[in-house]
Amino acid sequence: MLEVRELTVGYRGALTALTDVSLTVPDDRVVAVLGSNGAGKSTLLRAISGVLDRHNGHVVSGSIRFDGNELVGRSSSEIVRAGVVQVPEGRRIFADLTVDENLRIGGHTGSARRRERQMDRIRELFPILADRRHGRAGLLSGGEQQMLAIGRALMADPKILLLDEPSLGLAPLLVEQIGDIITTINATGTSVLLIEQNASMGLEVAHDAIVLEVGRVTADGPAAELAATDEVRDRYLGMGAAAGSTVAAGVEADADDTGSGATTPTDAADRASVRRSPRPVVAEGITMRFGGVTALAGVDIDLEPGRIHALIGPNGAGKSTCINVLSGVIRPTEGTVRLGDVDLTRTRGAGFAELGIARTFQNLSLSPEATVLESILVGRHHLMRAGLFENAFRLPRSRRDDRVHRAVAERVAAEVGVHDRLHTRVRELPYGDRKRVELARAICGDPDILMLDEPVAGMTHGESQDMATAIRTAHALHGFTVLLVEHDMSFVMGLADRITVLDFGQRIAQGTPAEIQHDPTVQAAYLGHPAA
Amino acid sequence: MTYFLTLLVNGISIGSVYALIAVGFVVVFKATRVLNFAHGSILLLGVVVLARLQDSIGFWLALLAGVAASAVFAALVYLIVMQRAEGAEEGTLAILTIGVDILLLTELTRQIGNDILAIDAPWGATIVEPFGLRLPLSRVVAIIVAPILLGLLGWLFERTDWGLAMRAAAADSSTASLMGVRLRNVGIAAWATAGGLAAVGGLFLASFPAAGVAPAIAISALAAIPAWVVGGFDSVPGAILGGLLIGVVSSLAAGYQADLTFLGRGIGSVAPWAVMVLVLLIRPDGLLGGRSTQRV
Repeated sequence: MLEVRELTVGYRGALTALTDVSLTVPDDRVVAVLGSNGAGKSTLLRAISGVLDRHNGHVVSGSIRFDGNELVGRSSSEIVRAGVVQVPEGRRIFADLTVDENLRIGGHTGSARRRERQMDRIRELFPILADRRHGRAGLLSGGEQQMLAIGRALMADPKILLLDEPSLGLAPLLVEQIGDIITTINATGTSVLLIEQNASMGLEVAHDAIVLEVGRVTADGPAAELAATDEVRDRYLGMGAAAGSTVAAGVEADADDTGSGATTPTDAADRASVRRSPRPVVAEGITMRFGGVTALAGVDIDLEPGRIHALIGPNGAGKSTCINVLSGVIRPTEGTVRLGDVDLTRTRGAGFAELGIARTFQNLSLSPEATVLESILVGRHHLMRAGLFENAFRLPRSRRDDRVHRAVAERVAAEVGVHDRLHTRVRELPYGDRKRVELARAICGDPDILMLDEPVAGMTHGESQDMATAIRTAHALHGFTVLLVEHDMSFVMGLADRITVLDFGQRIAQGTPAEIQHDPTVQAAYLGHPAA
Repeated sequence: MTYFLTLLVNGISIGSVYALIAVGFVVVFKATRVLNFAHGSILLLGVVVLARLQDSIGFWLALLAGVAASAVFAALVYLIVMQRAEGAEEGTLAILTIGVDILLLTELTRQIGNDILAIDAPWGATIVEPFGLRLPLSRVVAIIVAPILLGLLGWLFERTDWGLAMRAAAADSSTASLMGVRLRNVGIAAWATAGGLAAVGGLFLASFPAAGVAPAIAISALAAIPAWVVGGFDSVPGAILGGLLIGVVSSLAAGYQADLTFLGRGIGSVAPWAVMVLVLLIRPDGLLGGRSTQRV
């Protein structure tokens, strides 16, 4: 039995990632931990596995006991030997080793006899691992790699298996399969602590569950009971009717308030100073090779001005590479990207901001100690007129700057739905709100083209809905071109005007959401099974 | 032609010695992410111990003691200095090793004084003439011993559980530790292996035709650094290839020095670094180095 009692964990820089978290995993049970990115789920597993110090973290207080023995303060190798084994997030298989070698590593804490026994058991559970035993692990597909990662952990014959996001980046059919595997493993007497973003899978296989939000347990109980509560249905399962509506209402009200503001003299002048005539972005034949890997092979994309475009595809399809090329982070091996008549492949860094192109990144880049308002104001920085001297002595221009830019920042905050948190520090916000602050910061720079890299990655269903509302509202108010990169198909369906689908670095389809939804190639490649 | 072949074989021999030393850099770097600039003085420690003990306990036992001294000292550097600074940046750790290098080299220089300690190896100053080439016997021994040691190392890495744990830790240390691999033991093994190999390399650097053990041995061991870099920081086969390349090029450059006067005198000793710069201009990651990882 694993017992976590009032666990508080901090990272260097005094960031508290977990506060008074308690949970129990009884023998032979599956317990799921739900929560969005940044809720502290991975931190919880790191603490149990004894690898916090590798991430500059430490247990501030509380205890983690397994079968009565304290695990806090013990090394990761001792914890593995005690029967507590983790399958890390993102699978983390040893790509250059063979499948068999990966398994042997997992079993290296035990005797040769145990290893043989476990090896047989795992090959029975995952026949594909027996077929590919001498192949390099890096050549397995995503689903097979997940099986290898689970098999590798089972080699240590664990009493409890800690699974970190096993369904991440897998097609729906495979997610189901992973769920079945967890049930099978549990049936042989191994208890499981399951961290899952896919709440419906998590709640289906688990006996009990807890919900983590910003490092605290906000709900716990039998999985079936939790699945029936409004809060979980709303935020994690996407079944509540109310999802996102509160924010939408708030924004609409605020948009009305400030709607006339768009024509007030200061605002109009302010916007005119950066407004350019809309130009399309046309990318032709972009090819990107990294060493021997071809990430993009002759992809054509064009972004009509003022529309919402989405770029979708499974993990590894080349989406991130594509947005990196379009936003000038990397230069393509071949092909051209043009904004009107400007060749973007020859433009560097700051030039993009001047051309009116703004983007957000897949991983947050906000300063945790800054307030929401301060974070958003950063996006206005290149539009501020007062210099250091004027600012230092708060001369008239500096004060005017302040007034104008604060007003814009507050208005944008309202558009994305974070207006009631302007003076909250970023680190106190839940993950979904932080992502919206980042969006607000990008909008604040008054771009013509806004590129968003996985804006809802790691979000709960409720947070995704809020984000969709925020993007839709901002787009309606500003009329900029939006390019969204997403692997969540359902998210873009209701949002985008046009969708481009990538798979293995190639464009396999382009069209309206309806066309894409009925495209057989897309269904086969992306949804993992024909006719959803 | 004979002259050319003699130079070539000499180059391969000295190159395989560089390979022994360069492999130590790679093994330490892969297992613990430390650029170990104390490698040269650790090598010197081994040969000093050998030279000091050979009169009392005989050459072979003294060689064993020298290898052990380098291995144990390297492991202690890891345990005492590097472990304590765990989590520091790679640059900081590299500078720490330079500090260790200076301390150890200063002490060894004091020990050696102005003498040159002779190595009384069984092959002595014998010259052999296989296939009409005139070669020092020590060069022939090196050309045989180095591949045997490197082959043994390769076998350990590829075929044993110990080697598998080393490779896993090198590929992804945090995941390896989640699988129960004891990273500290991996580090100790890597540093000790590197130290032991360096001592054997040092033996050949100090043997005839070299005069014996002098502090300059630690400097000539630095020629293994271009070998390491040329091969790619993290590739064992790369380090071997780099060692051979550097060995052959410097041997040929030294041998044909008279014909290369337009390049200035002493081209033999700069050749390794010139090769390094040229290779890096063409292949920035070295001959067999892993490409700097990029998300694709």
